[in-house]
Amino acid sequence: MAARWKEWLTGWAFVFPAVALFAVMGVYTIGSGLALSFASWNGFTPEWIWVGLENYADLLWADPSLAPGVRRAAWNTLQVCVAVPLLTVLISLPLAVTLNSVRRLRGLLRSVYFLPYVTTGIATYYAWRYLLEPEGSINLMLRSAGLGSLAQPQGWLANPSTALWTLILILVWSAVPTATLLYLTGLQAIDPSMVEAARIDGAAPRQVLRRIIVPLLTPMTAGIVLLGVRDSLHGFQIFLIMTNGGPGGHTNVLALETYELAFFKGLAPTLGLSSALGWLLFVGAVLLTLANARLLRRVR
Amino acid sequence: MTAARIARTAAYVALSIYAALSLYPFLWMVSGAFKTREEILDGGHLIPREPTFDTIVTTWNQLAFVDYFRNSLVVTGLTVLGVLVVYSLASYAFAVLRFPGAKTLYWLFVALLFVPGITVLLPVVILENRLGLLGTHMGLVLPFVNGTAPLTVLLLTAAFRGIPRELREAARADGASEARIFLRVYLPLTRPAHITIAVLTAVPTWNEYVLSRVSLNDEALYTLPLGLESLISGTVVRYNEVLAASLIMVLPVIALFAFLQRYFVNGLVGAVKG
Repeated sequence: MAARWKEWLTGWAFVFPAVALFAVMGVYTIGSGLALSFASWNGFTPEWIWVGLENYADLLWADPSLAPGVRRAAWNTLQVCVAVPLLTVLISLPLAVTLNSVRRLRGLLRSVYFLPYVTTGIATYYAWRYLLEPEGSINLMLRSAGLGSLAQPQGWLANPSTALWTLILILVWSAVPTATLLYLTGLQAIDPSMVEAARIDGAAPRQVLRRIIVPLLTPMTAGIVLLGVRDSLHGFQIFLIMTNGGPGGHTNVLALETYELAFFKGLAPTLGLSSALGWLLFVGAVLLTLANARLLRRVR
Repeated sequence: MTAARIARTAAYVALSIYAALSLYPFLWMVSGAFKTREEILDGGHLIPREPTFDTIVTTWNQLAFVDYFRNSLVVTGLTVLGVLVVYSLASYAFAVLRFPGAKTLYWLFVALLFVPGITVLLPVVILENRLGLLGTHMGLVLPFVNGTAPLTVLLLTAAFRGIPRELREAARADGASEARIFLRVYLPLTRPAHITIAVLTAVPTWNEYVLSRVSLNDEALYTLPLGLESLISGTVVRYNEVLAASLIMVLPVIALFAFLQRYFVNGLVGAVKG
């Protein structure tokens, strides 16, 4: 009995710091954030005004000055959530398979491919901004390659029709490193004798890839897609830093809208709206994850 | 040329193209940092005609970059330390110890993966304002540590579970305390996983902009991302200085990664297998 109590107490002692931190930073913030989503507040008045589900209704359909903007941001967010994980897999899977098939320079190339993850953030976003300017290196390169018609004279981020996809490609560029590394570890776990057996049975390399390697990597793909969708839904640093939602809301996403409503509306009572939008984002994340898990199970 | 040789050449061509793409903005960062104000406006050539150290020196001197650098080091260092101590202990308990509530707590921490950072950002700011933490470095470190909980607990618990239980039984038979088993047996064996977590925490913390922007007001406490931002907020953007500052900011992270790379990759392999 005493031994059992001792083990329990040890366990509780080990988790105590994590639970204490969560009690202060997590429980309170999640609780008060959820409560605030049912209230109207501008951050300065002493009292919250309870409005029930009004914030959610305003965001989704009721307020004509809000709902259309939210719907557009939702559409942009959806494009990001689908395109970024999909393109990441389409690039990093062949990249990892190719890298795994060569011997020389493998270590060096792996480090080079990982560089975008290590450097991603405000510094690299500014470098990309410089490259995407009207007279930036991307346009100059296209012109000197005789593809001047593809160059964007206003700059890639100022043109409403290219801005969102430019950002999507940069997000893919920053997501490929971890995905490639995960695929590489997955590839190294594959039993070489299995591939060898298939080859002896007369399977072409392409068949080996499609029938053996890709299916064995499915759990890895599932993880990459799940984390990719989550990051696309939650992350907005790149949108804030590179375009701040512009031009004209064409790169606005839901998380950025939540941020604007929380911190940049002055004395207007938008804090409840911001909280409500944040929780809609949470619901979206859960739904997308469930849909994804289902889809991937069917593929398998 | 044989078919195998052609295939290998094609593979290296494809691999080189993606390597160039990975390096692309970084190369321009280096190039811009060594150009003068006149040269950066004069066309898009990668290799500077008259490379100069002046840009880096001016940039370093004109803003309080030494301060920003130190602030970033303090915030990132404390965050990484906090994450390693707090979640290593908790993950060890989840993986090895048996006590009521272990499973519920574990799943609670993992489920937090779905709560977007932006959803709790505003409540964090309100709470810290009440506690008098807003605008301090601690006010950044605490939510950063808490925010890494889901992935860290997931990876470290998997790593601890990978250690054979017999080792613990043997150490206990020798009379070792739980703390001793944790420190002397489990921690050394899970070092790659801990280094992986350190890198996965340090990189985003070093680059964090959103919470820092809304909470830090005192310029003396600014971290590098905010210092960098103040370079670009003027009307005329001097890209050579912005790129020099960017280079100053990314070099330490690259150095850290180069140094820890071996462990990092191993840790990731262990975590994925676990």
